[in-house]
Amino acid sequence: MYSNEVSKQEKKSLWRFGTKEVVYAAIGAALYAVVTWAFNVWQIPGAGNVGVRPAVVLPMFFGIAFGPIVGFITGFVGNILADLLSGYGFWVWWDLGNGIMGLIPGLFSVLITNYKSGGSILRAEISVVLGVLFGMGLAAVSEMWVSGADMNTVIFGNFLPAFLTNVLWGLVLLPLLMVAYSAIVSQSGR
Amino acid sequence: MLVAWNYRYRNSLIDRIDPRARLIFSFAVLIAATSTWNSLLLAIIFMISILWYAAAKLSWKDTKRGWMMISILLFTMIVVNTIITGGGAGGVVPEGGQLVWPDGFNLFGRHLTFGLTVERLWFAVAQLMRILSISLVFIMIPYTMDSRAYGVTFRKLGLPDRLAYTMELSFRFIPTLARNFQVTLDAQRARGFELDSVKGGIFNKIKRIAPLIIPVTMNAIVSSEDIANAMDLRGFGQQKRTWLYELKYHWWDYAVIAFAVIMLGGVLFLAFGRGMRLFHVPQWWYGLFN
Repeated sequence: MYSNEVSKQEKKSLWRFGTKEVVYAAIGAALYAVVTWAFNVWQIPGAGNVGVRPAVVLPMFFGIAFGPIVGFITGFVGNILADLLSGYGFWVWWDLGNGIMGLIPGLFSVLITNYKSGGSILRAEISVVLGVLFGMGLAAVSEMWVSGADMNTVIFGNFLPAFLTNVLWGLVLLPLLMVAYSAIVSQSGR
Repeated sequence: MLVAWNYRYRNSLIDRIDPRARLIFSFAVLIAATSTWNSLLLAIIFMISILWYAAAKLSWKDTKRGWMMISILLFTMIVVNTIITGGGAGGVVPEGGQLVWPDGFNLFGRHLTFGLTVERLWFAVAQLMRILSISLVFIMIPYTMDSRAYGVTFRKLGLPDRLAYTMELSFRFIPTLARNFQVTLDAQRARGFELDSVKGGIFNKIKRIAPLIIPVTMNAIVSSEDIANAMDLRGFGQQKRTWLYELKYHWWDYAVIAFAVIMLGGVLFLAFGRGMRLFHVPQWWYGLFN
């Protein structure tokens, strides 16, 4: 296939998890960890005073490009690895939230027909908003169960800061990654 | 960019316990601590967590980054939300209650009234014990668990082979990707790209990250094709995997698991079977404010 079109065969294999998906998920998770760690520990001042977590776009992009399982693992395992590298511990409910941020765009991957078409990018952007909404929503609500926080605290202290910054990173960076990936798809005939 | 894992062998009690037993214990503490607001049960879980943490022989220098993050969380949740605004106590602490300063107090010559109640203050103590118990057992994991053990640990805990291997593989990729990230960053800086610039609006600042993220991601994807082909040629996934890092239970691992199960079972029984689930304030606490 030497075009940007995603083949029907690929569309049918939404839940496939073969060798390629294992490698993509592992690469995605490792990349998520490295980028998060670099911006956390290394303190790259690239984004000025914006909440510096550009890595959140990676589960979204890996979900869109390679399906929901790869997207989920990129976010879930990637966040575990990032926390391990940064020495922040192991917070499974936030790891799950990050996984969902990749899973939901992954579910939209069947609707992506051309990585640089306006329609596909729009669908991907919608998936970003839904993914962050459900992912960060779950993680934030879990704080009610874990820490005994009330709904106000959860919304204003946990959910909104995470939701707004993650959506912003996703909406701006995901289309750029999709267009760049479209060039790779064309060249390599994926 | 050198990636340094936080783990090192410390010849501690925790080092001798199988990673599976440690994870089972940690999750037992998590479930036990989140099943109750009873301060007695939380105090017992808190003490167990302190002993568990102490058994890891971790220094402050090792863990201070993680504790800084938890301090911010504790400050927001307990000081700001529970004590100052009373928000964090909503739903658990009943409305009303006994004021700590019923007549207000004087500060810098001004008379102030502050609606902090004795009940909310006790809730802050319970909340502190709950969050610290969970933090103590989970924050130590990166420092006490060898990165080679994660894949096999999750496999032996029931995760499918491919998922466990994905985890294992991602650990292997981290040093390579960190190096690629550094090379890309240096290359972009050499081209005069202002990654560090604070000029422009919020969208421009975000877009400025793109020349760093996009090449690193695309390079990784292109190289992953070769890795997948090499794995396929070697028959990946055709048979049950074996692992280089072997795990073996000892009698003390079974003892840790048994303790975790008994602790969790006991807490659940007392919380749900003996009415010790809900928040209550002990009488002696009221006595301190009369």
